[in-house]
Amino acid sequence: MLGRRAFLRVLALPPYLWLAALLVAPIVLVVLISLRPEPGPVDFGDPWNPSLIQYWRILETPAYLRQLGISALMALIVALAATVLAYPLAYFLAFRAGDRASLYLVLLLVPFAVSFLLRVMAWRLMLGQEGALNTLLQSVGLTDEPLDLLLYSREAVVLTLIYVWVPFAALPIYAAMGRIDRRQLEAAADLGAGPWTRFVGVTLPLSLPGAVAALFMVFIPTVGEYVTPRLVGGSETYMYGQLIQDFFGRAASWATGGAAAVIMLVLTAVLILAGTLAVRTRVAT
Amino acid sequence: MTIQLQREGRWLALVTILCLALAACTGETGASAAGPSSAPASEEASVEPEPDELLVLEWAGYEAEDFWVEFAEANADTQVDFEFGANDADILAQMQAGSQADIFHFYTGWQQFYVDEGLVREIDTSKLANWDKVPDEMKALGQVNGKQYYVPWDWGFTSILYNTDHVAEVTSWDALFNEEYAGHISMWDDGPAAVTVSAYINGWDETAITDEQLAQIEADWIEQKPLNLHYWDSEYENLCPEVISGDIWVAYAWQGCYATALYEGVPVAYANPEEGRNSWVGLYGISATSDSPELALEFLDAKLGEMSCGNAVTLFYYGCANADVMAAIDDETLIEAFAINDPGVLETTNFTPPVTAEQRDAWTAMWTRVKAE
Repeated sequence: MLGRRAFLRVLALPPYLWLAALLVAPIVLVVLISLRPEPGPVDFGDPWNPSLIQYWRILETPAYLRQLGISALMALIVALAATVLAYPLAYFLAFRAGDRASLYLVLLLVPFAVSFLLRVMAWRLMLGQEGALNTLLQSVGLTDEPLDLLLYSREAVVLTLIYVWVPFAALPIYAAMGRIDRRQLEAAADLGAGPWTRFVGVTLPLSLPGAVAALFMVFIPTVGEYVTPRLVGGSETYMYGQLIQDFFGRAASWATGGAAAVIMLVLTAVLILAGTLAVRTRVAT
Repeated sequence: MTIQLQREGRWLALVTILCLALAACTGETGASAAGPSSAPASEEASVEPEPDELLVLEWAGYEAEDFWVEFAEANADTQVDFEFGANDADILAQMQAGSQADIFHFYTGWQQFYVDEGLVREIDTSKLANWDKVPDEMKALGQVNGKQYYVPWDWGFTSILYNTDHVAEVTSWDALFNEEYAGHISMWDDGPAAVTVSAYINGWDETAITDEQLAQIEADWIEQKPLNLHYWDSEYENLCPEVISGDIWVAYAWQGCYATALYEGVPVAYANPEEGRNSWVGLYGISATSDSPELALEFLDAKLGEMSCGNAVTLFYYGCANADVMAAIDDETLIEAFAINDPGVLETTNFTPPVTAEQRDAWTAMWTRVKAE
């Protein structure tokens, strides 16, 4: 019969195997592929001659690096906007919704019942030349003809991504606010703090970890986003995720695509590390 | 205990990762182990009974039973599954990576690669009942080194599709670079296609593009970029709908979209550029590692049948390799789309030539830089 320790080991095994096989191993595989000297599709029977030439191919091309910078900047804008917009939503759920909080939370999650692709496609209908926004602008006399810039532009990508991520960003903030001990707010009120002071002095700092988590949760997937720019971005909006996809697909250059993916992974990790350190420093001071 | 459990868990995870990575680095795929094969499809059949199932590596949309209806009717118990490739490079990459597909579908220009890498087996055309209906010119496109490796199936033109309400007659491929139509142009998202267009415009031999010419092509397409509404990558997803809605006035397009727009009553025309149209042919090959080569052969023969080929014409508005089907077309729109009433179009058409692996890689890399710029 299994002892308690062995039983716990057995219990822990499936999640460890799951993570190792489906999260860590693919990343290791991408790193290994990126070290192959030949750019083409990988034949695992080939001899193993690791090289950094694929990394050099990315790093020596200014257009690729610029795309990485633009994508990171767009992801930051989307993450900041989604977090800021999600914050009052989460605040309402945590402090104002009362008994109906559960109902509103379910309503908040309703968009997730619809496929990501469909939600993005819906924005094509909204932003198109004959879409809802252009029709509205013309009907109220603000414009004489459809605005071209609404669809197939960088702005359209940012707008669509913000819409997609707001409900998602609200969840960690709501969770952080739910953990705030209401007695601290009462104590602040007893000490004469008004609503604004209570918010700035108690609610905001205690909910900050949730907001930071939301920021990262939106930022990380947005850097590598390729579906949304493909659908609403147009020829002038090309994101780094599309570059990686093109290397693996159109160019059949798996090794170059692997190197591009690893570079993005490292950059994202560095930015997140820097962000985390900055927040910790601020909280500590 | 928790710490020990974490430590042991980490070891377990590490061992798992190392095992998987090692397997990935040293293992051999079926495709690479099999090596080149030039044996006719029929020769390897009779040793063991073939599995009663087929896997086809296809382009999205072609999996509809309308396009293999004769086979489905004759083989009701056979399971036919489909995997999809996004483009020619993707399909080649999947085959190189050891796809288990019995049949794969690609387009002219890529014939040589599959033969050179031993990914395709020779076709025994004597087993194809519909082979006599295929024009000799198309049969020739399926040959490499004098052997028949591929069965031609769909074909069509590429040219400039334009909205006659907004655009005067288009006489050259350079309409794609006309600033007058800024914001209403759409180019196909494809490097080799961009090189082909530039070669036509500049009068260059597209099979012998020099480094200097490629640099010029890259600069030209970077300059052209802001003129596009978007680059399209799916004819029926993000080209035709916007041609029909009137957002796209000038597009690099296949005749299927032209016919679709005509049926929708959109005022469009399909250019006969002075440089000539382009023409392409879709080819099917049988994988060198297929366990069901006889069944695959039967599938391809059935695809050349009147119903399957006819559906390609009437549903996709693509040409098909069965000459009887093409000769029977009496719909005015389709006659116009395939230029059946104007043999002069075919005389000036440029058929897609084979490209080398180096050209393919260089042109695709060039296009990636254009998009990233």
